[in-house]
Amino acid sequence: MLIYFQQIVNGLMLGSIYAMVAVALTLGMGVLRFLNFSIPGLFMIGGMLTWALVRDAVPWPLAAGAALLMGALASLGVELFTWRWMRKADEFVPLVSSMAFLILFENLAVAYWGSDLQSLPQLFAGTDWHVASLVVSVPQVVGLVLSIALIAGLSLILRKTRLGRALRTIAEDADTALLLGVHIHRIVPAVFLISGLFAALSGVLFAVNYRQVHPFMGEALGLKGISAMVVGGMGNIWGAIAGGLIIGCAEVISIDLFGADFVDISVYGLLLLILMVRPTGLFGAPAGARA
Amino acid sequence: MKSTMPILTLEKVSKRFGGLHVVDDLSFCVPRAACTALIGPNGAGKTTVFNLVTGVYAIDAGRVLLDGKDMSTMASRQRIYHGIARNFQNIRLMPHRSALENVLVGQHCRNSGLRGVLQPVNLIPRNRWREEARAALADSGLAQYERAAVGGLPYGLQKRVELVRALLAKPRLLLLDEPAAGLNPRETDELQERLSVLRRERGISMLIVEHDMNFVGALCAHVIVLNFGRRIAEGTPDQIRDDPLVREAYLGVDAKPRPLERHAS
Amino acid sequence: MSGYVEGILVLLAINVVFAYGAFLPIAAGQLNLGIAGFAAIGGYVSALLSNNAVVPAPVAIPVGGLAAAMVALAVAAPVLRTRGIYLALATFALGEIVRAAILNIEMVGGAAGYPVAAFIRFPTIAAFAAGVALVVWLLFATRFGIAITAVHDDERVADLMGLNVRAFQIAAFALGAGFAGIGGGLYAHHFSYVEAQYFGITLSISIVLYVLFGGTRSVLGPLLGATIFTLLPELLRGSAQWRYVLFAGIVIVVMVLRPQGLVTGMQMPRLFRDDGARLRTGQAQ
Repeated sequence: MLIYFQQIVNGLMLGSIYAMVAVALTLGMGVLRFLNFSIPGLFMIGGMLTWALVRDAVPWPLAAGAALLMGALASLGVELFTWRWMRKADEFVPLVSSMAFLILFENLAVAYWGSDLQSLPQLFAGTDWHVASLVVSVPQVVGLVLSIALIAGLSLILRKTRLGRALRTIAEDADTALLLGVHIHRIVPAVFLISGLFAALSGVLFAVNYRQVHPFMGEALGLKGISAMVVGGMGNIWGAIAGGLIIGCAEVISIDLFGADFVDISVYGLLLLILMVRPTGLFGAPAGARA
Repeated sequence: MKSTMPILTLEKVSKRFGGLHVVDDLSFCVPRAACTALIGPNGAGKTTVFNLVTGVYAIDAGRVLLDGKDMSTMASRQRIYHGIARNFQNIRLMPHRSALENVLVGQHCRNSGLRGVLQPVNLIPRNRWREEARAALADSGLAQYERAAVGGLPYGLQKRVELVRALLAKPRLLLLDEPAAGLNPRETDELQERLSVLRRERGISMLIVEHDMNFVGALCAHVIVLNFGRRIAEGTPDQIRDDPLVREAYLGVDAKPRPLERHAS
Repeated sequence: MSGYVEGILVLLAINVVFAYGAFLPIAAGQLNLGIAGFAAIGGYVSALLSNNAVVPAPVAIPVGGLAAAMVALAVAAPVLRTRGIYLALATFALGEIVRAAILNIEMVGGAAGYPVAAFIRFPTIAAFAAGVALVVWLLFATRFGIAITAVHDDERVADLMGLNVRAFQIAAFALGAGFAGIGGGLYAHHFSYVEAQYFGITLSISIVLYVLFGGTRSVLGPLLGATIFTLLPELLRGSAQWRYVLFAGIVIVVMVLRPQGLVTGMQMPRLFRDDGARLRTGQAQ
């Protein structure tokens, strides 16, 4: 019984990371109707840069900061090529370009650092809490709290600020937004910036907590973030969190019940099921609300 | 012989979108081998009627009969196999393909099945379906545009290509949604002439949504007027022109009442 | 021919087969991001057959393709009910599930991979590639090609014109999966090894990228895309990673400058002169 609780705790930790990635994806989906495949790549950049800098004896807060900065810059670069300079084209073109960016980032990482799995040192030794025979590591809790706080903050921004209102207007109808005087060209970079930061930050958190990184970590995890987004409901921030936590728990429980071999089948099977049965996810608007 | 049965009958047809009755208890008949116009101010429900007849929308109430046969629940894909073809208000062709390839689509309902699908229409020059399509294009004066990508053609020519596509289905009933919109007077005359000939020589029944009352007057013997999803008047073009209800519906919008001219051909 | 050149040409031939596998569903308006999974099915099934001497490799490979096509058929109906981005994601999930499932089948080596005994050389591979290309070219010269484009451009109109949209989409999807399966079989029997790890989302994305980059409005597009993608290392004698970096960079730039891809001309190169059209003078295409 206690094992279950421990698993759920672990699942929540993992899930909070997925949730951040899911939020990053959801912003793009909700506001721009754009599935940003580069986000798993930004996740990887966050994680691997943290490792690379820590390896070179940079104190971890600075390393994390630098990784975030690079992630943000990279995301703005993606914005240039998938939006700003994009002429009127088929709607799948930004998706294709973002996939190309993923390949770009991954292979740049391999070119610089090789394709091996890399480990980070224990940064927070001896800081585990023992709460009623559950083991909870402090960085994991911090990660969880941070994720939730940031996502809550984002939700506040969307609801209370001008930027938030502008984003929601664009999400409703881009043409109307233009008519209403929303500066789309200034807003879109903000979307990419925020989602890039979320993606990179979740990579940093992953690196610091699970201490293993490699150039293709984005695929394994970032793509589960896509699953989380879909399960929770595309375009819905709180749904993304729910989706992330669900996927995280599903993964952990699945490893426990069926062994690590079947994790992917469970997670992607869940994704496929949701897509076929209720594609708008658990909390998204029912299909048909938008043609 | 069913030669006097109307080709198309709507019986108390209704369609709601949300709370709005776009088509409301509508009944009318379209006589066969004749040209009937469906007119009314914008938003009267004309295109919706087309969409109901072709099965794009499901009817909420009432029936649609083609030549006496109830097709109210027939799948939209099947209707062309029963002889209903249409064009579209905003042209819907394959922009990157040639005129010939576009009109070949019209033949599909006569050449479906495995044999039809594998018909080498683009490979063998003397293929009979290809020849038929080429002849149809030539008939409409489009022979020189056979290989031209349709997206690059002028609007009027694209409309002609769409018409040829519909005709290649050899329909019994042709639904035309604003076929003269955007055409200059010469093109409009040519279209009107062409449609008259089609009706006379091939016995194709037509239901035409149009705003150009001169065009309607020259082509159609029968006019049905819609407003707010209901039929408010019906008769010959002259009768409609004099109908006070119709004038009221159009007040300040479209065609002002004026003498309808017969075109000298 | 030198071993080096043969190696390049083998890769080119296999990539061409993969390219047509991705091209078919894209031409019908769907993105199959799980294409690598179907390649894996073809690779493993054909390897299984030839390793156990059930049939020789040149027969096993098409059978592998058939297996992939059957799986695609089985899942196509529910999966193709989704649309647009949902479809892309569903196919991606499908590909990952296939890969993960294969990794768990001990009979074919699981995570360690599966060695393949039979070996095929360039002429056989080239023959398969030429065969696939020819089938696609011929198909697109029939009403099938026009129907596929009609479905791609405007499903509603295609349906009203009497085309069975769903059937064409499923056919394109299954046929494309079948070709991918053949590609997987070719790969397995030339590199003497199949491992599920290789057939992941990166492979799917790469294939889709070079097909889109080559242009999907023409049957020549996938050929060009595969060719450029394969020959890139010649420009950059460096490692495989830099070739992917360069390739990704090129795709990004091309998508900004020419999103319709490189080749957009008429689908079917004119094989026969059409007497009627020739007599008309002065009409530029």
